[in-house]
Amino acid sequence: MKSVAEILKEIRPEFDFTASSDFVADGMLDSFDMITLVAALDKNYGVSIPGTDIVPENFQNLQTVEALLRKCGAKP
Amino acid sequence: MSPIQQLGQVFDAVQKAKAGAPAFCTNFFPGESKLQGWIDHGELSGEVHDGAAFFLRKDRDFGHFYFCAADMTALQQAITAWSGLKSGRMVTDLIGNESAVNRLLPALEPAGFRRYTRLQRMARMGRPETGSGGVPVDFAGKADSRAVLGLIENSFDRYGEQLPMPYEIESAIENRQVLAARRAGALAGLLFFETQGLASAVRFWAVAEKFRDCRVGSTLMQHYFQTHNAVRRFKLWVNLSNENAISKYRHYGYAPDGLVDQVLANEMIDA
Repeated sequence: MKSVAEILKEIRPEFDFTASSDFVADGMLDSFDMITLVAALDKNYGVSIPGTDIVPENFQNLQTVEALLRKCGAKP
Repeated sequence: MSPIQQLGQVFDAVQKAKAGAPAFCTNFFPGESKLQGWIDHGELSGEVHDGAAFFLRKDRDFGHFYFCAADMTALQQAITAWSGLKSGRMVTDLIGNESAVNRLLPALEPAGFRRYTRLQRMARMGRPETGSGGVPVDFAGKADSRAVLGLIENSFDRYGEQLPMPYEIESAIENRQVLAARRAGALAGLLFFETQGLASAVRFWAVAEKFRDCRVGSTLMQHYFQTHNAVRRFKLWVNLSNENAISKYRHYGYAPDGLVDQVLANEMIDA
């Protein structure tokens, strides 16, 4: 299973996500990119992230994305 | 629809639609500052239905329709029952990958929306740029506001391409987000962009008709890249019917990134 950092690197290879504490403020993810990321996370971790959780706060950095996955029952 | 006067009204309405909704669907993605701008200018109204919230943003002689719904069924039921759809010219944007957009169409088309046009997002990675332009380029100034608005309105489709309002142009000029190329004192071309951190988006790139084939457009684009060497990802939305623009963007290294924007219009807008 790929890590969140690996999935992000596949989606946006031009960015170093491990060096950012705020993906949105740093321009690494916009609201449309979150849609792409959610689809990749759902597939990789076999979960279905609820629409209610697709908000910028949950996609701020690696820790918040991993916390979201744990909330959905995955083990990132 | 009731006028929205505070951000909290939007969040409350969205939250009501979201509550206990694993299949939540929406086309409402504005950033907080954009949303605040719409509210400050009295452009936004909204209403809550059973399992759905609708928003309408005034734009020139029509409105942009946005929805947040618990699921497709709630959306379909609410929009079918909504009399507002026939109250004036209206467009709506479905944004996502091809399959996500196609999944939403059956909720909106039976209610009276029809396919108007389609945009795709294109992106390129940042890389060092060199080269010289054919005309001088600088930032547009306050005095250029009307000319900038005129060139954008003459070059793009107001229903399909999210044209900025005059106050947005003034703000972009103040924030040095509009590059201008001039010839004989006239605005020959412009490049309107938005940069956030390591990413930058071209919102509009246009050359006045009488200055085409004079290297105005290429100069603007080269200048834009050269002054954004720290940017790692460049992106833009382009109308799929604009083959000329797409071929130019490909020339500069942009490629489709998989996102599309299906613009739908109600029956009061001519095809």
